[in-house]
Amino acid sequence: MAVVDVQDIWKYFRIPHERRLTVLDHIAGALSVLEGRRYSYEEFWALKEISFRLEQGESLGIIGPNGSGKSTLLKLMARIMRPDKGTIETNGSMATVLELGIGFHGDLTVKENALVYGVIMGLRRSEMRKRTDSIVEFAGLTRFRDAKLRSLSSGMQVRLAFSIAIQTEANLFLIDEALAVGDAEFQQKCLEKFRQFKKEKRSIVLVSHDMDLIKGFCEKSLYLLNGEARAFGASEEVTNRYLDDVRSSAVTA
Amino acid sequence: MTSKANHYLDIVAVLAQKDFKVRYRNSVLGFVWSLLNPLASMVILTLVFSFLLRVDIPNFAAWVLLGLLIWRFFSVGTGQGMVSIVGNASLVTKVYLPRQLIVLSSNLANLLGSALEFVALLPLLAILGVNLTAYALYLPLVLLCEFLLIFGVSLTLSSLNMRYRDFNQVWDIVLQLGFFLTPIFYDGNLVPERYQSIYSLNPVTRLIESTRTIFLRNGLPSLYDDAVIVTSIMLLLLLGLLVFGRLERRFAEEI
Repeated sequence: MAVVDVQDIWKYFRIPHERRLTVLDHIAGALSVLEGRRYSYEEFWALKEISFRLEQGESLGIIGPNGSGKSTLLKLMARIMRPDKGTIETNGSMATVLELGIGFHGDLTVKENALVYGVIMGLRRSEMRKRTDSIVEFAGLTRFRDAKLRSLSSGMQVRLAFSIAIQTEANLFLIDEALAVGDAEFQQKCLEKFRQFKKEKRSIVLVSHDMDLIKGFCEKSLYLLNGEARAFGASEEVTNRYLDDVRSSAVTA
Repeated sequence: MTSKANHYLDIVAVLAQKDFKVRYRNSVLGFVWSLLNPLASMVILTLVFSFLLRVDIPNFAAWVLLGLLIWRFFSVGTGQGMVSIVGNASLVTKVYLPRQLIVLSSNLANLLGSALEFVALLPLLAILGVNLTAYALYLPLVLLCEFLLIFGVSLTLSSLNMRYRDFNQVWDIVLQLGFFLTPIFYDGNLVPERYQSIYSLNPVTRLIESTRTIFLRNGLPSLYDDAVIVTSIMLLLLLGLLVFGRLERRFAEEI
């Protein structure tokens, strides 16, 4: 059974030539149209014609230079954004850890923020209450559990988000650069968790610049360049293709 | 399907709880502020209209307080509901949940706050000579109706505010006007006959009239009140869900 089935998705962002945020801006803009100037924006295609399939238990690495569409693709899979064309089907439940962790409200404590994140990730409220202490401990934040979230460093916030996500029953994990922020000790703990997930046939989609990490955990990789799939297949080949491109400076990363 | 419903209920519960906590944290008096605000307005309006202008409304203080509490729920509820999406960027950009739940949670926190205000001020109403009867038990129903009305309006406002960031300024002005177009401190019957048919269609007016009927006239809200309230809830909820559903698709990019 496919855990993710992405079919021919396209996504564009609007880049307005003049930024209009307020009602007044729009009125001014409408008036300038009357003067013959056009309301204009550029369509920037962040993703073009992306298709792939991932079977349950398989993991996928997404690689490519900055701005190639990796995070956008992950957000589409997480349903945070919608594609303009094409379809994405996912089976089962997902847990997402995007860049910069959680931080729902700086004024609430670490434990209170953890509760919000955990419940959104699909854990029951009663379960979260029971597990909060062990989650905070895994994140190495026991000392800070009653501190306000804003007093944590960004690395600590990602650690917290990560520690909650791995408590869920999700069969698909979407992880964006999250590991890069944690310290070496935490990374080791996470890698151990990943190994356990692989044994349990749970899938991981990883956006990363760490080729060894991708080769170690993902059977398949997708190499994105300027929003297009430049290569898809076995991680060994795809990562080599990327590194070759970088060396021959076809890609300036 | 029930597990999905449970999941959504849990989300709404923790988000509403979060909103409620944030509102009263970092302030010395906390909940007391939300009592002092309508009380101060009541004292001022009573001094001006009852003592200086000698408006002839029996038990003016209690009468005006009921109007103020209902109005306050509407204005604060829609005001906070409107910024609930913009103010919760990480709930939009970092995780997925049906975003209507964010607005719903904000409104629920306000419903809870408003209900507590009423409960805390019931003794004052009694002191002011209001005869508290079993009709007061209809109050939860009135507040529930107002909550649904606020939810409908907040859905429209919050999605418009995502696209036009100064829309909250527009709404502030609408609310200022609304304060005078709603019979909070004057008798609605004073409005000239030919404007009455439009004037009386204001659902907040009907909610205020219903509340006054329950507490001051010890009776049931009129069928006209019920009809206007239920119809506006349905229309505004429908409009809100449509507008929100349409604009929600690009929230994560616009925030």
